[in-house]
Amino acid sequence: MSVARMLEHDWFPRSLPANVRIGSHSWCYSSFSCLHYRSRRPCGVRIGHHSGIYHGTFFDLGPDGEVEIGAYCTLVGAIITTNARVVIEDYAFLAHEVVLADSDAATPFPAQSPPKSRDGAGAPRTVIRIGENSWIGARVVLLAGADIGKSAIVGAAAVVDFVVPPFAVVAGNPARLVGWTHR
Amino acid sequence: MSARINRDEVKAITGGWDYASLPRNIRIGADCYLERKESFKRFRSTREPGLILGHGVKVYTWTEFNIEPGGQIVVGDDSILVGAVFMCADRIGIGRRVIVSYNVTIADSDFHPRDPELRKQDAIANAPRGDRSRRPALITRPVVIEDDVWIGIGAILLKGVRVGRGARIGAGSVVTRDVPAGATVAGNPARLMGRRTGPS
Repeated sequence: MSVARMLEHDWFPRSLPANVRIGSHSWCYSSFSCLHYRSRRPCGVRIGHHSGIYHGTFFDLGPDGEVEIGAYCTLVGAIITTNARVVIEDYAFLAHEVVLADSDAATPFPAQSPPKSRDGAGAPRTVIRIGENSWIGARVVLLAGADIGKSAIVGAAAVVDFVVPPFAVVAGNPARLVGWTHR
Repeated sequence: MSARINRDEVKAITGGWDYASLPRNIRIGADCYLERKESFKRFRSTREPGLILGHGVKVYTWTEFNIEPGGQIVVGDDSILVGAVFMCADRIGIGRRVIVSYNVTIADSDFHPRDPELRKQDAIANAPRGDRSRRPALITRPVVIEDDVWIGIGAILLKGVRVGRGARIGAGSVVTRDVPAGATVAGNPARLMGRRTGPS
């Protein structure tokens, strides 16, 4: 009983999946973002109000994948690939070519052979969290275990799979603490 | 391997929404999946063939086969190319069951000279409407990725590198030297993190 929803500005000839919810005053560049979307969760992608999902962003979600994005977030081309839960809190900014993934060698979830699903099972566990008002630099890779604290900054091209405290600045590969956003 | 691919076959292997004629000088095995024709936007190989995909190779949206006229890429059976940007002037060989994740770059040349005077000459030859024939010769060294290698998100592999069977390249690695079979490397420049023994 889902109603096909085409984004009115869309060039890609598909509707958004029925279990993708976009809040008021938010923008998604295209249903192309769901090219590899396989989520069968009640809500696979939830986007809050006043958030921008811009060109090049992808939701490569497996059947148990869930993404929750808060309000006033900006994603300018992040690729999110997971079969678990990813949370992006309010005011977060994710720069170009960022990848959020369950593992180093992540691949999309292909349509031809969908992985086994635990439909109706409990909510998937959160593998990546990006805290409120944090800034994820260009080319950053966040792997399972990445938990970015409130108002933290992850420097360009850093690789993070650990807890970054609130207000911390981390950078490098492997990433390490290089400073604080306030004192 | 099929000799030539007709339009219907291309439609079948590309998921039907972005199909187009593929370059003539490529060979594609059975059960391959090519998500976008964009992958061939900078395919300039004149070799016969310039690209060989084995059976069951999956090529996703972000992959680019940027091959110079003299270049050739060979990909073994059942490999998955998610977001590999191949910069090939000579030869890049990918084994079987290799996984190449998002935002990866694999190059068999630096594509520009190191010498300052030659770089200036290169810049002039490459300018809009410049004379490309005056570009200094490229220095190339083939890249070899052996069977069962995993290349992590955002890794960069440079010319002359051989990655041994079953090795793991961590996310964001910059690989400038050979990686032994079964090794795990990470970082910039990539360093040895560990090594597994036995079959992968």
